[in-house]
Amino acid sequence: MLSQEESGRVFEMLKSQEKPVEEIVSDLISTFPRHRHFVLCTTLSLLLQDKKALNSTERLVAFAILHHSYCSQKPSANPFISLIINSACDDEVEKFERAFLLQLLSSSSSNSNKEFLKQSAADYIKGFDPSSHAFPQREQLQQQYCDKVHPEPFNSAYINASTKNAFPDPDLPHGCDPNSPEFDFQPGAKTKLGAGSRDETVTGLLTHLSLKGLDPRWIRPLPPRFPVLDRELEWLIPDNNHELLWDHGMCADTSRGAAVRDLIAKALKGPLLPAQYEQVVVELANDPKLVYHCGLTPRKLPELVENNPLIAVDVLTKLINSPEISEYYTVLVNMDMSLHSMEVVNRLTTAVELPKEFVRILYLTFKVRDSHIIKLLRIYASSRYVDHCRVICSTSSPLFLIY
Amino acid sequence: MDSRDSTQSTAAGNTSGEDDSGVLSVTATLAKEAALYFQSRKFDECLDLLKQLLDKKPDDPKILHNIAIAEYFRDGCTDPKKLLEALNNVKNKSEELARATGEQTEGGGNIGNKVGLGSKGSGVVGNQVSAANSGSLVYMDEFDVSVAKLNIAVIWFHLHEYAKALSVLEPLYQNIEPIDETTALQICLLLLDVALACHDAFRSADVLIYLEKAFGVGCVNQVDSGSMGQQSTNLLAKYSSVPSNSSTADASNSDLAATVNASENALSRTLSEETLEDDTVLALSSLEISGQNLTRPVGLSSNELSRTLVDRSISTVDLKLKLQLYKVRFLLLTRNLKHAKREVKLAMNIARGKDSSLALFLKSQLEYARRNHRKAIKLLLALSNRTEMGISSMFNNNLGCIYYQLAKYHTSSVFLSKALSNSASLRKDKPLKLLTFSQDKSLLITYNCGLQYLACGKPVLAARCFQKSSLVFYKQPLLWLRLAECCLMALEKGLVAPGRSLSDGSEVKVHVIGKGKWRYLVMEDGFRKNGHVDSPEKDDSSLGSDGQPKLSMPLARQCLLNALHLLNYPDLNYSKFGLPSNSSVEESESSEGASSKNLNHKSLSSLDSKISVGLGQVTANGDAKDQKGGTSLEVIQNSLSYYEDVCRRENQMIKQALLANLAYVELEMENPVKALAAARSLLELPDCSRIYIFLGHIYAAEALCLLNRPKEAAEHFSMYLSGGDHFDLPFSREDCEQWRVEKIIDCEELNGGPAAAKNPSPEDSQDTMFPKPEEARGTLYVNIAAMFAMQGEFERAHHFVTQALSILPRSTEATLTAIYVDLMLGKSQEALAKLKHCNHVRFLPSGLQLSKSC
Repeated sequence: MLSQEESGRVFEMLKSQEKPVEEIVSDLISTFPRHRHFVLCTTLSLLLQDKKALNSTERLVAFAILHHSYCSQKPSANPFISLIINSACDDEVEKFERAFLLQLLSSSSSNSNKEFLKQSAADYIKGFDPSSHAFPQREQLQQQYCDKVHPEPFNSAYINASTKNAFPDPDLPHGCDPNSPEFDFQPGAKTKLGAGSRDETVTGLLTHLSLKGLDPRWIRPLPPRFPVLDRELEWLIPDNNHELLWDHGMCADTSRGAAVRDLIAKALKGPLLPAQYEQVVVELANDPKLVYHCGLTPRKLPELVENNPLIAVDVLTKLINSPEISEYYTVLVNMDMSLHSMEVVNRLTTAVELPKEFVRILYLTFKVRDSHIIKLLRIYASSRYVDHCRVICSTSSPLFLIY
Repeated sequence: MDSRDSTQSTAAGNTSGEDDSGVLSVTATLAKEAALYFQSRKFDECLDLLKQLLDKKPDDPKILHNIAIAEYFRDGCTDPKKLLEALNNVKNKSEELARATGEQTEGGGNIGNKVGLGSKGSGVVGNQVSAANSGSLVYMDEFDVSVAKLNIAVIWFHLHEYAKALSVLEPLYQNIEPIDETTALQICLLLLDVALACHDAFRSADVLIYLEKAFGVGCVNQVDSGSMGQQSTNLLAKYSSVPSNSSTADASNSDLAATVNASENALSRTLSEETLEDDTVLALSSLEISGQNLTRPVGLSSNELSRTLVDRSISTVDLKLKLQLYKVRFLLLTRNLKHAKREVKLAMNIARGKDSSLALFLKSQLEYARRNHRKAIKLLLALSNRTEMGISSMFNNNLGCIYYQLAKYHTSSVFLSKALSNSASLRKDKPLKLLTFSQDKSLLITYNCGLQYLACGKPVLAARCFQKSSLVFYKQPLLWLRLAECCLMALEKGLVAPGRSLSDGSEVKVHVIGKGKWRYLVMEDGFRKNGHVDSPEKDDSSLGSDGQPKLSMPLARQCLLNALHLLNYPDLNYSKFGLPSNSSVEESESSEGASSKNLNHKSLSSLDSKISVGLGQVTANGDAKDQKGGTSLEVIQNSLSYYEDVCRRENQMIKQALLANLAYVELEMENPVKALAAARSLLELPDCSRIYIFLGHIYAAEALCLLNRPKEAAEHFSMYLSGGDHFDLPFSREDCEQWRVEKIIDCEELNGGPAAAKNPSPEDSQDTMFPKPEEARGTLYVNIAAMFAMQGEFERAHHFVTQALSILPRSTEATLTAIYVDLMLGKSQEALAKLKHCNHVRFLPSGLQLSKSC
């Protein structure tokens, strides 16, 4: 949109019908900065579409501006080329205007014929001879000036559909003819009802016309505000007070732990004496946390199992809640089958509730080693180790039962 | 070997008795004295002793730890950051040492394995170590950093840094078995507090169940005692087995007796009695507590027993109350109101005769959740310590919540701002103690203020509040949704970019140009179509010069994308609203490392959630109220599955809103492609509300029209066409109600007849603004008319727009489209008439200015 001042200036120039067209055009183009040209031309093109708004000399000047603003480029690059061609082919348009447009169009291709612009618009009309002009068909002009190589730029249907946002609303006494010149503004004369000045209107239109025009409106409902969720408002309650803790483990006596550690280390290497065994059991029972610090790791478990199955059972029972227990189980399942390992499993199944998962694995392992068990059984049976047979059977059967 | 054994046995006999002479090393004695001074809050003396200790054992991490704690208290608890730093150093040092020794022993173990049985292996270590240098003898528990870690978590907790607290606590909790009972209990309680503060129901449930299992105090519930006795704890088993062991009966007896004295310290940490090995204390107390229902431990003489009962009764009840209140909080969080009611009653019974403002707060919260607002207020008023700043701030905030729910936004804002000023003076008046920090809940109150401002239609103030509270809530999708709503509201009110706004948009500006015969009317364009409020290039930062959020469409889009991201990738570590979907639960499980092999109780949570899904079928109808009684485990699981359901539903609702808002914002920013994508994902959501489906279709159709694809746009309308050219109502009134019903159900079901009648909830219909079904139909007519007009089918457009005008005679858009269609049909007189009759037209004379320029 043009500012008030700009539109005033433009209209002044359009009105100066005595000046040579060329001069007006170059004046205007030079006074307007380059980036305003499109706005200027757009507004003019909108005005030109309303056949009443501008008079004939002004129209000629306006077309000349439209054309010349883009004359450095190919005619097809002129955004207003279709308006120019359409008017040039429009039978309702005055012949002189159409001739003028044709001359404008051809002037860009051949530099020779620019003489007509040297006269003023009024002179052009005065000296116009319709017989000296031929009016070609629209198709011919389109072929000549609209380059098909340039496709139409993308336009939203919205923009294509838009119509001018200005329309006449003549304010006249009822029953009067809006076209009669009687209501034209007469300078000096007393204003009468229904009279109006065209000048005022044109500058006003220049200011307010816009490219976008009027288009169908779309309702875009605002999304509803999200309801406040139950939990969303923060309900506050007093916090529990968490005090900083003193570390009572500072310089604590760890000798008992040391003893058990030593004993466990020994237990990895060979059977403990009954007294030693007793001590381990008692100490472990005294301090439920000691078992976590007694130096046993899953990797060492097989040694413990082989040498001191009873201690292994005790330790594993106490480790039942440890996060590492599964590792211990895994080791236990994977270690070589022996009387001791089976005894540990046997006692474990009765002492604690083993996880189903573990029992399943155990069962599978045992099944795989079925032949091994049978072999063991045979050996022990033949050597009259009846007691050992009992261990094996009692180990296997509860497992089968559980499973 | 023998000598070692003998020293061991003496040590074993003596360690427990603090009055036993001689055997305790100098350091141990000093340490005990220091602990005593610490407990009697004589920090200077305590620090003196600690310094002496440090001379004897330089760089001992535990001494350094206690020094840091004591110094912190001596200095008036002013510098938590410094303490944090010190504790972190201690922790790192310990871990380093432990690693070093760990390698040593592991190395030994390796050798042992390779060489075979009987070789040196770990035995080497043991044998080489003599009693003399036992100071350097390395035990894992000497480098146990659980206390230091717990203290770090405590600080983070008080600073409201729950995510950080969690990151410390979670590993501790995962490996809690080796940790001594006092510390373990504190860890559990703190973790529970953190989880509840984060609204993380799953984690809270896990800890609650564990507490119940391990300490046997958790939920003193009806039927439970039997099953509890059984499942509760190997601890019990261990301890009752001790006395039966003849050889140590005496020792352990005295042990028990001695620790009994210390129990007070262990639990309440206020009395300065002598402490011994705290580990046994809690185990004992748990034994005690369940012992009330179960068999008494065999080995204790009645004399001792009665003493322990007297000594410990208070703290036992305290712990019981504490856990009961935790349980109530959990049930409130999971909205199992029925059980919450029962448990809160139990809690009030336990708390009888004592001041428990927490119990009152929770009871009030329960009534608030049940929409008995009057009763909730009454309970709040019953608080005895209301004048205390911290309490007063919470009190006012909660009243603010209640009045908000009653849709009395003005009253609500009065209370909320009171709460804020309480909070502020709390910060000013008291020295910066940890507790003061944690009492400072201003950021939470600020969020409530934001909601209240939004309800009052003050988007800028609301956005400021939300921005402030984002320090806490930045991981909440809802926060971002609210911020986006602020932007949209600002747009609606024309606050986004001056001179161009939606409220202006309902008004058509018509310039009257010229006079008389030459009078022209020029309709101003650029409303709506130019909703593109802030061009992106000048909106590099979403913050204005004053650091306040600059409400704009790009900001709205950013917020919505944030929220969507958070919804799609919920972060389990800090989920206020318990987002975990099944998949994320599994993720967290597998991230625990060897969880597939994990056969211990830690897999409980996943097992539980699996079980509870099954149970959830029963209660699919919304409330976990069907199971009367039941074990507390069941109650917890049912609550969880119900809560999971609620969360899923709420997240779905949030997602719908997010996508609808996003589509709208993209349209405003003239990004039809993105708008279309958002609208399509909205339409693809399962169980989408019909309201949002309608919006999705409208937005998608508009985007398609902008993209020149009117045929596809028409498809979005066609589903509402019922034969010929008539539209159905796109949704019904019930659809609107449905979104509110969610809240009310509980109240109706739980309150039963008369109580429900007292609670008129239709008031809160105000705080949302769903379109009316009839208007929605009008919208459809307008838009389809516009679409036909754009395609040049003016006759059809005319038909639809006439319908639209009959439904929405005051709609500007409908009028404008009608004018457009008339103009295109050449009926300019009718167009003029419509324009002149339109209510929202403002005619702007421009004659004056013109005369100047001419």
